[in-house]
Amino acid sequence: MVWDTPAPAREGAVLDQTRELEKFLAEVERRAFRMAQIALRDPDDALDVVQDAMLKLARNYSAKPSAEWRPLFYRILENGIRDLQRRRSVRKRFMVWLPGAKEDPDNEAQDPIDNVADGGPDAPELLMQSQAMEQLETSLRALPARQREAFMLRNFEGLDVAETAKAMGCSEGSVKTHYSRAVHSLREQLSEVWQ
Amino acid sequence: MSEQSGLEERSRTLFQDSVGNIDMRVRSRLTQARHAALEAASVSRRPWLLRASIWTPAAGVTAAAVLGVALWFGSPLGHHAMTASDNPTAFEDLDIVASSDDGSGDAMDMLQDDVDFYDWANKAGNPEPAA
Repeated sequence: MVWDTPAPAREGAVLDQTRELEKFLAEVERRAFRMAQIALRDPDDALDVVQDAMLKLARNYSAKPSAEWRPLFYRILENGIRDLQRRRSVRKRFMVWLPGAKEDPDNEAQDPIDNVADGGPDAPELLMQSQAMEQLETSLRALPARQREAFMLRNFEGLDVAETAKAMGCSEGSVKTHYSRAVHSLREQLSEVWQ
Repeated sequence: MSEQSGLEERSRTLFQDSVGNIDMRVRSRLTQARHAALEAASVSRRPWLLRASIWTPAAGVTAAAVLGVALWFGSPLGHHAMTASDNPTAFEDLDIVASSDDGSGDAMDMLQDDVDFYDWANKAGNPEPAA
């Protein structure tokens, strides 16, 4: 029973759990940010979604065993991404009716200066890497959302099929199907440009 | 190595590189977000009786009640209505001022009519010394 545990032992356990949670969040936060950025294209939106996912995990699930945190965290993150995309599409539909409405940030032309290499020692290699990543991001965005989620969670985050199924809220069979289709589509799109 | 695993490996490497290239502004904001999340976790672990979120509304209601009581007793409304038994003299004075014999209702007229009487009474009470 919880009441029988001496107070110092309880405090020690809470401290350990806090340290473990910090370690977990520090480990996943950057990858989670990049995955959100690939899906949303906007770094500020990606930051908001990751921050929200961290808060929700900490508030609601920090008492759960740490082994469950990863799929839970990515489930919260994917839900946040989907919510934001849904809100954007509603806003986009609404903005069409307004005169002089601004273009959606998704369709805004990129500043050409952003793509200019900085002329460092590894500039050609960095440029090639950056172009390859850009192509990968474009291809990932072209995938259906579930396929993209399955690919990123399995391949980028390294979740196994069971964890990915938990994170996506679907069966393991569906994860395998989504993943296989994602890889097939990406191979078709990238095989030529990645030669 | 098959073409499929080559694609997976290359995409994973590119992704990891892009994670390593995240700028300092974003890193700093992620660190802040992590600390905020840890703070939220520590709050959620406190026993519910010790959480500020429980006590803040209760403290607000108590403060409002105390203030209300203080204002009530400090205002004239807080004193109970004056009755005749509280101060009978005050009501008699009020009666004299409000009523008059001639029915005019003006007490000042009545006082002016009796000026001669009060003058005589004053002199009678304090006779002038003989010259």
